[in-house]
Amino acid sequence: MGLLVKDEIIIPGPIVNLAAIGAAAAVVIFTIPILAGQLVGTKSVKIRRVNLYNNAAGNTQVVIGIGVPCVALLPALDSLNGLFDSYGPETDLILAEAFADITAYPVALAAAASIDIQIEVEICG
Amino acid sequence: MPDLYIFKAQVGMFDPVALYNQNVCIHYVQNAYYRKVDFLEAIPPFQCLDVGAVAATTVSPRTLIPNLAMPDNEFGLFRWYPIDDAQIRLFHPSGMAKWQLRNLQVPVDMNITNRDPNLVSTEIAVWEDNRPAVEAINGHAFALGAVRIIAIGYRFHTVDLDKSDPDLVKALKSGAQPCTHVWASGRGIGD
Repeated sequence: MGLLVKDEIIIPGPIVNLAAIGAAAAVVIFTIPILAGQLVGTKSVKIRRVNLYNNAAGNTQVVIGIGVPCVALLPALDSLNGLFDSYGPETDLILAEAFADITAYPVALAAAASIDIQIEVEICG
Repeated sequence: MPDLYIFKAQVGMFDPVALYNQNVCIHYVQNAYYRKVDFLEAIPPFQCLDVGAVAATTVSPRTLIPNLAMPDNEFGLFRWYPIDDAQIRLFHPSGMAKWQLRNLQVPVDMNITNRDPNLVSTEIAVWEDNRPAVEAINGHAFALGAVRIIAIGYRFHTVDLDKSDPDLVKALKSGAQPCTHVWASGRGIGD
């Protein structure tokens, strides 16, 4: 039963395009699993990796949190113009746990540009 | 009968306390029920309870675990652990403290999976619908979003021996025939 020590399973979320700035324009980037009558128990997620691809959006930051308007769970993450940025556990990310759908938004964007985001999470519960 | 005992420890899933056609005595509070197992199956790990959010440095209300209740004539054997950082006090039945020492009711927290990887010390039995209850103690200076408990174990269907085979019950009580004793409740201090 020692295998139960680490309870969480890491899964990837979808790639989501962020094309509007500001907390009020945050979009859901990962949904907490819920399925009444089938799925047992309360699920939560811990963010383990964040992948950002900057589509010529200029040097900016991305905020990840819960709800709309988005309440930050993590410090804002840098996204450099035209580059791929990846933030992993242990060094880059603090361990934040969410019991609600995770949302994100860019702080600023160049005109007609966007940022693609994908997160990997530990499903817990 | 080396396979007939409670609190077994070994690598991997724990063994059942009785197999098909073996005898058990289920102790519930001050009662003892002599029965024979006629069906058993394993219960995979599942989340049996979410106590819910617990405010900072607060103890949750005592919360029943109806998901561990068993049908008539059945008892469940469960080991369990929490996956959120609260200390859990168990009551079984809901009015009786489990793991009560003279000065302390021993709680279980997330570290149980490191300190007791086989979860032997968390083993409880549930007789019919006499399910346990828990209190979650949040010692943190921040609220916990949930306090969830995972259980794993066995389900046993039994038939009554007290009426159907009193001679066998006499033999079980005298020790002439083997019988596993299963305690499906805590015990009050001084009882």
